[in-house]
Amino acid sequence: MACFQRASPALKEILLKLYSSENPTEIEHHLHEFGSVQYHIQSFISDSLHVYLSIATPLLSQGVLLSDGLSPYTLEMVKQICSHGVEIIEPAKEGYKLTLRIDFAKILHEEEPEKIITDIAAVHAVILSSQLKEMLINVNSPALFQGTSRPIKLVYHPREPFFVIKQPQKILIVFPIRFKENTDVIIATAFFWELMDVGSSEKWSETPPCCWSPIPPPELRGEPLEELSTNGGFVTFDISVHHVEGKRLEKTVWSLLNFNAYVKYHVKTTRGFIQRRMRKRLEGLVDILHQKTSDDGLLNKGQGIMYMKKLAARTKRIKQKCHSLSRKIKRIRFRIKIPGFARFRRRWLKFPTFSSSIRYAKLK
Amino acid sequence: MANALRLYLSCIRNTLEAAMCLQNFPCQEVERHNKPEVELKTSSELILNPILICRNESEKCLIETSINSLRISLKVKQTDELENILTKKFLRFLSMRAEAFQVLRRKPVQGYDISFLITNYHCEELQKQKLIDFIVQFMEDIDKEISELKMSVNTRGRLVATEFLKQFI
Repeated sequence: MACFQRASPALKEILLKLYSSENPTEIEHHLHEFGSVQYHIQSFISDSLHVYLSIATPLLSQGVLLSDGLSPYTLEMVKQICSHGVEIIEPAKEGYKLTLRIDFAKILHEEEPEKIITDIAAVHAVILSSQLKEMLINVNSPALFQGTSRPIKLVYHPREPFFVIKQPQKILIVFPIRFKENTDVIIATAFFWELMDVGSSEKWSETPPCCWSPIPPPELRGEPLEELSTNGGFVTFDISVHHVEGKRLEKTVWSLLNFNAYVKYHVKTTRGFIQRRMRKRLEGLVDILHQKTSDDGLLNKGQGIMYMKKLAARTKRIKQKCHSLSRKIKRIRFRIKIPGFARFRRRWLKFPTFSSSIRYAKLK
Repeated sequence: MANALRLYLSCIRNTLEAAMCLQNFPCQEVERHNKPEVELKTSSELILNPILICRNESEKCLIETSINSLRISLKVKQTDELENILTKKFLRFLSMRAEAFQVLRRKPVQGYDISFLITNYHCEELQKQKLIDFIVQFMEDIDKEISELKMSVNTRGRLVATEFLKQFI
């Protein structure tokens, strides 16, 4: 399962829209999810109270346990979603595994119609989990596995198969881990170590023991090489009887189906976390370099201004001193000061300008 | 700070102080060219002997000096795979944003994780002492950041593992 939500959000939205519409509408929708799940929703004006939902999903296993098509247990689980509001139509629409007729008139009378629609939107999760549930529920029944301990390959997503191996008193679930990038492998490996460490503590003794190994477990010996070639190793969960008792069965099945998606989501968010942290750190490092230099700049700038101010003040003082000194010198040169003498000198002691009548000829 | 790291960093600081005597020096081969001699290595008389300071096999610092430029290459410790990818990711991230640092080289010298190229112009603009402080601070911060990142990733993994196991109960 490539998601954490049981109900398909798109399917739920369409069904709610149909449920809440007052006028009968004719709708035909095709939805594709996770590359392998396909929904077909049909509603007719002539039959406005009924909606036909067909679903095509790959079966977990075509092998030992299940025959072609859905098992009776799975069909029973689907019927339990809403026994009177949902009817399984047989045969299913061509190209689909299951076709349901949803009767909105009957759902209307229910206490929580929206909850029922959400449950109907989770039909894919019901089909998938019921198949694994059927295997796990019979941990102690050797008849189901026909006495063989051969691994059963379960494919709920073409790229993410896993193995179920029957052993005395327990079932081993083995997840081959594959990632495209080496970084993802290392982050996932760190997570598996933590998972093993946490799972081995006494507090979590109730949970299935978990083990990670870079090489395939011996139980998978004999499987095709392409199934055993991984870059992230193998994670094994030991499922015992007490892990599938009562309500725990549902939780265990859902957790196991979601394991691959859970690891991938963790890797993705960790990468995002590293990126965010690096960006933050970059800003800090750049600040170290530039803060210091800008401080220095301010310091130098401040010092320069002060220096110039001091220099200007000093120059002004020097100018004033020079001016006073020159005045003093003038005063010293005129030792006897007679008031009005300067005017007298200009008036009377001025040399007259003579204009001679004799002109000289310039000699060549 | 651990005593060994302090010694390592103080050794680098002292070496940088001695080595960072840069001056403007135009290229002797090509007219109107002024390039970092430590990169071009056009004239052997302008290049000083490189200095290698090692703390251990996985942690070392190479200081190459020339008349107008200085190249510092660092190898950061990577004890396990997680530290290895974190260091590579972080230093690659910094190298791709080298323009923000001015003195950071886009591509590290072969055999090292990150390289700085300091020219006489950088020394004039950013001041010698401040540059040395920055390099030493950078080395300290990288070590600290990688350790913290590793710890955060592991703590995160532990929390996620706990949440996953909670689903079974």
